[in-house]
Amino acid sequence: MEQEIRACLEQKRYQDAFDRLLPEFQNKVFRLAFAMIGDPAMAEDAAQEVFVRIWKGLPRFRGQSSLSTWIYAITRNTCLTALKAGSTKKESSIEEPSVAHAAEKSGIEPSTHAGIDVLRYLEELPEKYQQVLRLYYLEERSYEEVSRLLEWPMGTVKTYLHRARKELAEAVARSKMG
Amino acid sequence: MGCAEFQELLVEYAELVGDSRARVDAHLAECSGCREFLEALQTVDAALAAQFGDCETSAEFATAVRRRVGRETAMRRPSFIPEVLDFVGWGAIVALIALLAWWVSPLIPVWSTTDALSLNTALAAGGAFVLVAFVIGLRSLADLKH
Repeated sequence: MEQEIRACLEQKRYQDAFDRLLPEFQNKVFRLAFAMIGDPAMAEDAAQEVFVRIWKGLPRFRGQSSLSTWIYAITRNTCLTALKAGSTKKESSIEEPSVAHAAEKSGIEPSTHAGIDVLRYLEELPEKYQQVLRLYYLEERSYEEVSRLLEWPMGTVKTYLHRARKELAEAVARSKMG
Repeated sequence: MGCAEFQELLVEYAELVGDSRARVDAHLAECSGCREFLEALQTVDAALAAQFGDCETSAEFATAVRRRVGRETAMRRPSFIPEVLDFVGWGAIVALIALLAWWVSPLIPVWSTTDALSLNTALAAGGAFVLVAFVIGLRSLADLKH
């Protein structure tokens, strides 16, 4: 598919290139945005913004990196901007919407297992642990995909995942005892 | 080896093989604390897999993107109006200079036809230079404001 898209770009057929890359990358871009932002509704807005930026940038894409690398870099930058804007909004907002509310708004039900709200414990972890955990489960537990999408070294991904799962398990074990 | 070390291994329980797996299993058989930790880990895995598995964009996503891209394209479509206005403006300047040269030429005392011609040419060129500089200055100011 990447070859087809590159061929369209070489012939300056930007609309054709975009028509091919949108269905190919929309879920991947959304999952990376969801992993980074943690709010499905905000992640979908950010993913839309990513594709608008891709559309604007297609004539300038020189093909020095792979198309997917370029798209995921745009996704990460867009998400960082959205997170900054979100944190500014949060600071100025009196009532902070809960994760459950955001999930409810977007139609994703918060998952509880054995009466324990694992998501609540997830929210208490450092941001980098949350991002890596969400992406790990979104990408069907592939260390390689997580490392590629976040552009973090594999060792870092494995270390963060190990610590994050351990901290969550400890929190869940404590709540079962208590 | 204490429970803390075993729990480090339990985080990667699914990937353990051979002796390591056997040692961990032997410890689990006699340690309820580590069994609870493993159960908690399995609860976490199941909950997060259920929460984040099969996560896709909404059905309206592609339509919404195309709408936004369409708006973006419409906003960036080049307008020919400034070019047409430029053309009209330059035409007016040239006409004005020609008119000025034609108006000035009878007032100049004629020493010779060649002198009158070169003076008229110099006047026309000077006038054109001033007007062009003025128009370029105005356009630059307008660009800066935008």
